[in-house]
Amino acid sequence: MKPFQYRKPLSLAEALEALEEENTRILAGGSDLLVEMREGKSHPERIVDVKAIPELACFSIGEDGIIIGGRVTLRQIAESALLQKRCPLLVDAARTVATPQVRNRATLVGNLCTASPAADMAPPLFVLGGVVVVASKEGEQNIPIQSFFTGPKKNCLQPGQLVLRLEIPLLSPGRGVFLKKARVRGHDLATINLAGWVNPRDGAMRVCIGACGPTPVLLAGGDELFRGASGREKLIDGLATLAQAQIAPIDDLRASAAYRRGLVAVFLRRMTRVLFPEEGGWPSA
Amino acid sequence: MLDETPHYTISVEVNGITYTEKVPAQMTLLQFLRQKLYLTGAKEGCGVGECGACTVLLDGRAVDACLVLAVEADEASVRTVEGEGRDGELTLLQRAFIEHGAVQCGFCTSGILLSAQGLLESNPHPDREEIIEAISGNLCRCTGYVQILEAIEAVARNGEELG
Amino acid sequence: MSTDQDYKYIGKGISRLDGMEKVTGSAQFVHDMSLPGMLYGKTVKSPHACARIVSIDISEAEKTPGVRAVLTGRELPYKVGIYMIDKNILADGVARYQGEPVVAVTAESELAAEEACAKVKIVWEELPAVLDPRQGLAPDAPLVHPELASYRYMKGVFLPQPGTNISHHQKIRKGDAKKALEHADLVWEAKFYNPPVQHVAMETHTCISQALPGSHVKIWTSAQSPFTVRNLFSACFGIPHQNIRVHIPYVGGGFGGKAGIHLEPLAYLLSKKAGGHPVKLTMTREEEFGTIPSRQGLHSQFTTGATREGKIVSLIAQYIWDAGAYADYGVNVGRAASYSGAGPYEVANCHIDSLVVYTNKVFGTAYRGFGHLEVLWGIERNMDIGARRLGLDPVEFRRRNVLRPGAQTITGEIISEHTGRIDLCLEKVAEEIGWSGIQTEEERVRAMAGGKVRGKGVALLHKAPAMPVFTSSAALLKFNENGSVDLLTSITDYGQGTYTALAQCAAEELKVPIERIHVPWESDTAMTPHDWQTVASRGAFMGCKAVIAAARDALQQIKETAAQVLRAPVEELVCQDEEVYVAHRPDERLSYREVVMGYSYANGNSIGGPVIGRGHYIAQGLTHLDLETGQGLPALDWTYGAHGAEIEVDLETGEITVLNLATALDVGQVLNSQSLRGQIIGGVVQGLGSALLEEFRFSPQGRLLNAGFVDYKIPTSKDLPRKMSQHTILTKQLDGPYGARGVAEHPMISVPGAIGNALYDALGIDFFELPLNAERVWLGIQQKRMASDEQSR
Repeated sequence: MKPFQYRKPLSLAEALEALEEENTRILAGGSDLLVEMREGKSHPERIVDVKAIPELACFSIGEDGIIIGGRVTLRQIAESALLQKRCPLLVDAARTVATPQVRNRATLVGNLCTASPAADMAPPLFVLGGVVVVASKEGEQNIPIQSFFTGPKKNCLQPGQLVLRLEIPLLSPGRGVFLKKARVRGHDLATINLAGWVNPRDGAMRVCIGACGPTPVLLAGGDELFRGASGREKLIDGLATLAQAQIAPIDDLRASAAYRRGLVAVFLRRMTRVLFPEEGGWPSA
Repeated sequence: MLDETPHYTISVEVNGITYTEKVPAQMTLLQFLRQKLYLTGAKEGCGVGECGACTVLLDGRAVDACLVLAVEADEASVRTVEGEGRDGELTLLQRAFIEHGAVQCGFCTSGILLSAQGLLESNPHPDREEIIEAISGNLCRCTGYVQILEAIEAVARNGEELG
Repeated sequence: MSTDQDYKYIGKGISRLDGMEKVTGSAQFVHDMSLPGMLYGKTVKSPHACARIVSIDISEAEKTPGVRAVLTGRELPYKVGIYMIDKNILADGVARYQGEPVVAVTAESELAAEEACAKVKIVWEELPAVLDPRQGLAPDAPLVHPELASYRYMKGVFLPQPGTNISHHQKIRKGDAKKALEHADLVWEAKFYNPPVQHVAMETHTCISQALPGSHVKIWTSAQSPFTVRNLFSACFGIPHQNIRVHIPYVGGGFGGKAGIHLEPLAYLLSKKAGGHPVKLTMTREEEFGTIPSRQGLHSQFTTGATREGKIVSLIAQYIWDAGAYADYGVNVGRAASYSGAGPYEVANCHIDSLVVYTNKVFGTAYRGFGHLEVLWGIERNMDIGARRLGLDPVEFRRRNVLRPGAQTITGEIISEHTGRIDLCLEKVAEEIGWSGIQTEEERVRAMAGGKVRGKGVALLHKAPAMPVFTSSAALLKFNENGSVDLLTSITDYGQGTYTALAQCAAEELKVPIERIHVPWESDTAMTPHDWQTVASRGAFMGCKAVIAAARDALQQIKETAAQVLRAPVEELVCQDEEVYVAHRPDERLSYREVVMGYSYANGNSIGGPVIGRGHYIAQGLTHLDLETGQGLPALDWTYGAHGAEIEVDLETGEITVLNLATALDVGQVLNSQSLRGQIIGGVVQGLGSALLEEFRFSPQGRLLNAGFVDYKIPTSKDLPRKMSQHTILTKQLDGPYGARGVAEHPMISVPGAIGNALYDALGIDFFELPLNAERVWLGIQQKRMASDEQSR
């Protein structure tokens, strides 16, 4: 790696000041940044280590929602007994990311900022309606997660901005499932991943599919489909049609577009059968 | 363009000894351990956090040292394989690795020992699934993993004080 | 005949000798070494599969602070090679594969060397590349080596074809295969493909070379064969052997990839230009995939004829090897796999044409199995296809054809009762997986209703070491003052556990506790005795024979001195428990310690001297193969084996779960039960990598796309079969140490075949290409579904 300057600001103000400078990158877990630098894809002159900023340390689950600060690691999410109880969807996804060693360092916020279309944490956050809270010298801004991802490995952050935390309104009472298919059972990037969330009482259903487009795809029309479906199998058929129309997978080194489309159909079916274990007893709209 | 490589003074505890050293920002913890401290137990197998050959315990947690900058380890506590065992005595895990044939070429061994040690310190009686998960970030090409799992299980079953 | 109970150490699960060093991190690999004044080397590599070097500008690179020397191919008039001297140390004039080193830099730090490399400016002219060996055989194909006619090569063994891309054409001609086909009741054809893959040893290739005054050279290298490095180095530079000293400390895996010579010459040339400082050259993982050689790909094609009763009467095989840009070991892989190229079966008429073809890709080298995994993928799948056409159970079809005592191999060797029992290996694995025959299509359809189907399959293997007829091992047993022994060998233990086996033999023969045997880990061409190479599953066989001979020599020396002191004839002396005594008067005894440094009488007279046991072993009775017919005796020993697999397939995703993988090998005699188990499991898991996961992916322009762990996947702890078992058959090899034969490569060889055959049982679909990854299986399922939908219309 090429030489650079390293700073570890102790306050948010100091950090935001440092981020004004050109050719500056943010260091949280480092598992994406250091790889980019080692591969010569990034040559920052300055690195700002955000792990000492107090505002990034929050991690709480309350009645009105979940707050995950910028410093919170994937391991903390994967091992949180409270999250396992209140929002197991996030825990399930966190457990599939990379390796135990990487999870001990990588942060949820960092994973989102890398904005890979295959990011495992993205589909759960999309279906849960996550909001990215961003700070700059001008103040704080709330960005819905769908707007945060703007393209393959592109997020909407401007120079001088720093993600403070992710907020998730706790949807009550609902259930979700996360599924991931990779090439090996060991650690791997997703060939496809997806998350489904349903709240039958409110007639809400959200599905997000990853690795099948330039950004994760939150299916439009999930709620209507759910409310209008006369049974589980009809719902599955409807989701399949919706998904095939809205995803845009490509042929790449990991899989062909055709295989991805095939997997999406399979996993939507599996997801739905987990969310609705019995065919009979279909919730009325 | 930087004219001079910036250096930073860090204070790191490694295997119980505190070292104060000047390091360039781009030096990874792995390079620091191997090149500054001559602790070559942690190996570079890929340099990008995929193989786990560089696994060390950082503040008690298994991490890939190739993905940590030395400057990030300032004020932290690091354990490498050289620190396992006291006064020449092997830990239960090290002894189990020898007894169960869990070592072949030895290049992945340091990393796996620390992943396993990290597991056993937070979970003294893991089941096979938990052991498999704990070493899932450590690649081994020689052993096919089975004798490694058996060695860790042997220690997990007894679960006494670990070294 | 001795049984295991008679041995104190042989057959036991003795813990490996180097366990302590490895679990404490004190084992030093070249990866860990640093010498005073050492410089670091880095290379600039060709971005093109085939391109002419128009110009190289190193002026900016040379000025980079910290840089001590820059080398280009033009200033290096040397060629290197194992059997064909066809490779420049740096590309000169033309680069022949993407990843080939073109410029080398040495500097005070890796960073400075990398910076300099980034400043090298090369102008290229892309040339048409050969990316598929079948196209490489076309008469108008571009030539990867237009000067093939001018290369020196090992005559009498290899047959390069100048004016083509063929570096070797191996022929086996036994009987008249074409005529026999005409009389066969059934003839069938099949084609198969193995992609190139990588060894993925955890320690990448690395070496330190130092050019010393007076044309002396010192080398420390992560390699398998110190004397081969020295010998090829000498041939390349014309430096006499005794001036070159090669050290090999601990090695982090090899699998054949470190068998020959790789980075050592380049590091030496950098050292020479940089004033004689040691230069360390280490491959990054990306370079390990893209620059360092691989296992070559193979296209195989079979035409088989059999009688109605299921006896194979004719086999015509064509092997087209995708050998990459340089011959390296690849030419020999094409040769050696041919003499096993009909599988462990009696085939009365066999024609094999094995063509090793140059292509513009990273080149092939030795890889565990030396062509046998590639060849047996096709052979074992072909057997199952044939069984099906004949209406026979695949296990029964094999029973009717396996080599039994009295049968003749395709090179004309007669199998004896001591060669090994392939039939018992087959029965064992069939039993282990509960073999009950191939499912019918109706049974499959019923099973498919559940979304998952299961299948079972078997595959056989055989291999003999692929080694020159003059292969030898030597060993020295050097006693220390306290009666302990240093065992000196130049076999490399890069994980297999050979040193422990050698120590067991020494302890067994010398009648000393095994704790008294010390094997200094480093081999050093100036200090440890000659050994050919540590490859081919011949290390334990020949090394142990050499150690046994050395032990007997040492005992003879001990007895000769003791005979004088005890005033008894040598023949009446017995050695036991570190003592030598008169057989019929056991009170008249001496400890080894009193004798091994010479013996001193009470008055001071001294006799004898330091005991140094010397032993060597050379393969007995091997012959060259006839260049036209391939007939001859190439095999030190044949190790037979079998795999049985039971798998489950997720019909919706194509994912295979291996439920059970049983392996049986006729090892003759177990030397170390723990190491053997480790070798078998490790080899099987590596075989699963080839079967299910691994392949090099190239762009249409021949650029390697998956040169890293992100997209080249090997099995992790989560990818293991649910159950694995290892079984040994013990047909003693008469000339093997304690009856043992080699077993290092064999555990991986037919894993793909067993999985592929099980996959047919599960799905009713034949797969011809590896790896059997989920997408490929899924695609096969979709195609079968569409075909049957078409049919029902």
